Amino acid sequence: MNIAPRYLGRGSWLARRDPRTIILVVALVGITVIQIWDIRIVLIMLLGAQLWYRSARIPFRLVKRQWLFVTFFVSLIVLWNTILTGGEVGGFQREQMHVLFHLPLLGTPIAAETLSYGVTQYARFFTFATLGFTMAYAIAPADLGVAFARLRVPEKFAYAIDLTFRFIPSLGNDLQTTIDAQKVRGHEWDKGKGGPIAKLRRTVPLVVPLTMNAIVNAEDTIDAMDLRAFGTGRRSWYRELVYDRTDRLIVAAVVALLVTFTVLGFAGVTSRTYVFPFLLDLAGG
Amino acid sequence: MSTMALSKAGLWEVNSRTIVYAAIGAALYGVLGFLINIVIPGSNNVSVRPAYALVPFFGFAFGPIVGLFTGLVGNALLDQLSGYGAFTAWNWSIANGLAGLLAGVFAVMVADRMSTPTTRIVGAGVVAVAATLVGFLFVFTDIWVFGNSFEAALTGSYGWVIVPNLIAAVIITPILAAAWEPLKEAIGR
Repeated sequence: MNIAPRYLGRGSWLARRDPRTIILVVALVGITVIQIWDIRIVLIMLLGAQLWYRSARIPFRLVKRQWLFVTFFVSLIVLWNTILTGGEVGGFQREQMHVLFHLPLLGTPIAAETLSYGVTQYARFFTFATLGFTMAYAIAPADLGVAFARLRVPEKFAYAIDLTFRFIPSLGNDLQTTIDAQKVRGHEWDKGKGGPIAKLRRTVPLVVPLTMNAIVNAEDTIDAMDLRAFGTGRRSWYRELVYDRTDRLIVAAVVALLVTFTVLGFAGVTSRTYVFPFLLDLAGG
Repeated sequence: MSTMALSKAGLWEVNSRTIVYAAIGAALYGVLGFLINIVIPGSNNVSVRPAYALVPFFGFAFGPIVGLFTGLVGNALLDQLSGYGAFTAWNWSIANGLAGLLAGVFAVMVADRMSTPTTRIVGAGVVAVAATLVGFLFVFTDIWVFGNSFEAALTGSYGWVIVPNLIAAVIITPILAAAWEPLKEAIGR
């Protein structure tokens, strides 16, 4: 069973960047967007995120399912939020709102403010997702451990991340062996009657042996690390990471973006929901 | 060599054993979570992930650091394998990590009451439930991150994740603890 992160951006401009740059962009722009509720700026951020994503040249047909899920999930969250709050979103009070129509059956008032807030939520979600996709597809899986180590994440933690990725293929094979072994005994976890609980119970003959086997086999890795005096000195990595001029410029730009919008957010300039004037006009406001 | 979990001595120590068990836990969570999930019929894509039971189990059996890593990195890895990116739902990964961390802490707090194998197995279930209920309170940060209301965070985030995770934790974590009991004696833990 081949389980590995899909490195779909291989060879692209974005994949040639230092992996630390991609991680920093996702983290810093993410923190920046969290602070912005002005849709005009969020849309610019989304456009920037899309350009960043495009530079990874990820074929859409290979990630269509992920985009569909994100769209479905975001729609559900936005709609759920709107219905549960009775349309009173983003700190707007009902008496201040410019009602456009009421939802059929539920009677929830949908105002210019509700729609503007919903669109902003959509744009923010899609900005997060767009950036997240670049991290999923444009960083070589083997580079993640060293990238975190070079970002000054505690060395042992970074090594554990590296080790996690190394365990994936062997655990995938062990899982396949366990599934096959149970099949020979007549046990197929995904077949048979019953609801979710019965199905869950049928996964036990897979989960338990796989987990216990992995724990027992881990002893060999622990012994090997102890024999090599793991943790007694500074660890070196085979892979050298070097920022080039483009990487430095990008990191400087996203740091500047974060600082700017943090200051503007605290000043109340970008932290309030922008209501589309044409919606206010439609509502007669 | 440290005695893993259920004892305050060396609880926060990070050595080769901690690192390997943490990496195994996270990789198992990612692989099993990626391949095995059970959609609840009639729900909006809500699924029970048997792999979640590994988070409180690794915290319970190997301590809070291992539990934290298993939940935090395991969930991020799962998102990475699924193609959504490790940081996209970072606050949910932290919630998973907190559940694992708390399982390790709670296990030590009630260690005196778990002197027999049977009480340890029951204790694993109780600890898993408590750690899940408390750790996942962190998903209320959706209010700040995504701009959801409290009601939406309670029903759409917390409720959405807590029910399937509790089902997985209640059923599978004690079974894992029961399987681990004789094994840990055999390998001298």
